[in-house]
Amino acid sequence: MEISRLPISASQRGKLISAGYTSLSSLSSVSSSALASDLRISESEAVEILKVASRGSRLGWSDGTNSVINGAQNAWDMLHEEESLTCITTSCADLDNILGGGINCKEVMEIGGVPGIGKTQLGIQLAVNVQIPREFGGLGGKAIYIDTEGSFMVERALQIAEACVEDMSEYSRFLRNDVQACQVKIQPKDILENIFYFRICSYTEQIALINYLEKFMSEHKDVKLVIVDSITFHFRQDFDDMALRTRVLGGISLKLMKLAKEFSLAVVLLNQVTTKYTDGSFQLTLALGDSWSHSCTNRVILYWNGDERYAYIDKSPSLQSASAPYSVTSRGIRNSAPRKYCSDHQSNV
Amino acid sequence: MRPQHLLHQPLTTQKCTLGCPILDRCLGGAIPCNSITELVAESGSGKTQLCLQLSLSSQLPASHGGLSASSLYLHTEFPFPFRRLHQLSTNFRSSHPCNDHDPCDNIFVQGVHTVDQLLDIMPRIESFIKNSKSRLPIRLIVIDSIAALFRSDFENTPGDLKKRSSLFFKISGKLKAMAMGFGLAVVVTNQVVDLVAPDEGINGLKVGNLGCLYSSGRRVCPALGLAWANCVNSRLFLAKDDEFVHQDNQLVNGDGGDFVSRRTRRWIHVVFAPHLPKLSCEFEITRKGIFGVER
Repeated sequence: MEISRLPISASQRGKLISAGYTSLSSLSSVSSSALASDLRISESEAVEILKVASRGSRLGWSDGTNSVINGAQNAWDMLHEEESLTCITTSCADLDNILGGGINCKEVMEIGGVPGIGKTQLGIQLAVNVQIPREFGGLGGKAIYIDTEGSFMVERALQIAEACVEDMSEYSRFLRNDVQACQVKIQPKDILENIFYFRICSYTEQIALINYLEKFMSEHKDVKLVIVDSITFHFRQDFDDMALRTRVLGGISLKLMKLAKEFSLAVVLLNQVTTKYTDGSFQLTLALGDSWSHSCTNRVILYWNGDERYAYIDKSPSLQSASAPYSVTSRGIRNSAPRKYCSDHQSNV
Repeated sequence: MRPQHLLHQPLTTQKCTLGCPILDRCLGGAIPCNSITELVAESGSGKTQLCLQLSLSSQLPASHGGLSASSLYLHTEFPFPFRRLHQLSTNFRSSHPCNDHDPCDNIFVQGVHTVDQLLDIMPRIESFIKNSKSRLPIRLIVIDSIAALFRSDFENTPGDLKKRSSLFFKISGKLKAMAMGFGLAVVVTNQVVDLVAPDEGINGLKVGNLGCLYSSGRRVCPALGLAWANCVNSRLFLAKDDEFVHQDNQLVNGDGGDFVSRRTRRWIHVVFAPHLPKLSCEFEITRKGIFGVER
C-alpha cells in the first residue's frame, strides 16, 4: 500500500513523499522523533501520521482489503464474494437460467402472481431446495417459512421433499460408481424438521416477527432462506392510512435487506396481484403500490401464457429481463413439459 | 414467538369428509382444516347441497374421515333449506346407525343479512366456539353464500370497489385466524358472473388451472373479482351441463315418437389448491345426497 492512499492531509502527504517515504513499509520502522525532524513537523503531528499509517498497514495486511472505513468493501471483493456464493436452485432449469443460477443469497427477491399460479408451490420448493447438501451443489442450510395466508400444506412439503431426495439419489447414482458414496444421508423428514414454520394471523404479529428475526437468526446461523408467503395479505385490510402502511412496509423491507446482508441469506417475498385504476381502465399490477415497488431490488412476475406458466424478470440490477416457462408437477416446480406431452396428457383427462 | 415444528404435528393436514368416498379420494380427503375452501358455481349446481352434506359428515368420527364436530352454518340466502337438511339427516342416520342423537342438533344455523352484520358477529362466533357447551366442539364454519352479501350493497365505482376489497381481506383474515386457532374447516360459497366480453383486459384473466370456466354452456367467472380470489386458500368449481339424450321409445310407449330426455351432468373441478393438482370428478345429486361418479 502506498502513502498516497493514506487518509492524511495533502501537505503531509507531499512532505512524506518528498522526504522519500513512498511506501507504508518505509514508515514501519521509523520513530516519531526521526519522522518529525525529517519532515520538519511537530512531534505530535508525526505521531498522528504514524498512527494512521499503522492502522492502514494493519488493515492492508490482515484483510487484504484497502478499506479505511471498518467493514466497507470494494466492488472487486464483492464480486469475488458473490461468485463464491451458491444460489438456491428452483428445480426448474429454465427458471434457474434466467435467474443466473437460482435465488441469490444476500438479496431480497419479490415474486408475485395471480392466485393459483404457484407462488406457494415455489416457496415450498425453495424451502426444500435450500437444504440440498453441499456435496450435491446446494447450500445445506435451513429455511424459515412465514405463512400469513395459511396455504402451506405439510403433506405437500413432504411430497416435494421426497421427490427432492429421490432426485439426489438418482443424481449420485448417475455420477459416481462408488456404492458407498451413493447414500443420500438426508431424509424427507429431516427436510421438514429444518423448515422453521411461523403462522402469522395479523399484521401486528407480522411486524413483531420481522423484528424478532434478527435474534432468531443469530441463534440459528444455519438459516439460509427466509420466505414470507405472502408479505401482502394482512396489509390489505384495515389500513386506512396508506402513508403509514407505506412506512411500515418500507421498514420491513429495510430490515429484511439488512438481515440478508448480515447473515448472507436469501429473502423471498411472495406478493399478490391487484388491479390498478389508471386513466379510466383497470390494469394488473403487483399489490402494495408504487412506493413498495421501489423497495424491492429484484422482482419476478409469474403469469399465464395460454396454458403454460411463465416467470418474467420485471426488475433486477444484474439480470437482463427475460422470461421462461415452468410447470408445477406432483414432484414440485419443474421444467415445462414439451408441448406434445402436454396435449397428450390433456386429451386423456 | 416460536416456530412450529412440522414433524410435531400430523404429516397431513386434517381433512373433513364430504360423505362420499369417491369425492374424498378425488379431493385428497376433501375439505382441509386450518384454511378457507371456496365453492364456486352458478345457482342450482349443488353448492348448498354440498354444504349441508358436509355439515352432517363433519360429525362423523375421525375413523370415518370426519372431525367428530358440530358446525356453524351462516346463510345469507333465505330461507334456509330446513326440509332438505332434514331429508339428508334422515338418510345420514340410517347409514350411520351408531349415532343416537339427531344430527340436526349439531348444526347451528344463523342468518346473516349484511356485511356489517357478518363483521359484528365474528367476535361472537369466536367466543361461541371457545365456550361452546355442545356435545361436539365446533370445527366447521359454512358461509353460504359470501357473494350474496356483497353483490347488492356496492357500486361499481373505484371508491366502492376499494372499500369492498378491504372488507374481503378483513373477513378472510378473521376467518383464517379462527380456522388456525381452532383447527376449523371453513367453507364459503360464491356465485358466478357471466363473461360478456371474453379475453378483453382483466376480464379474461386466468386465475388457477382452468383457463375458462364453463357452466350450462356459458362462459362464467367467479364473482367478487381478483381481490377475493386472493383471500381463499382453495377454490373448487362446480359445473353443470345439460345433455339431451334422444331415446327411441317405440318399444316402451308404442306411440312411435322420439322422446327427448334431459340429463344434467355435473363436475367438480379444482381451480387452485395448495395441496391438489388440476383435476376434476363427476358427481350427481340424488335424494340421498351428493355422490361422486367413478369413471
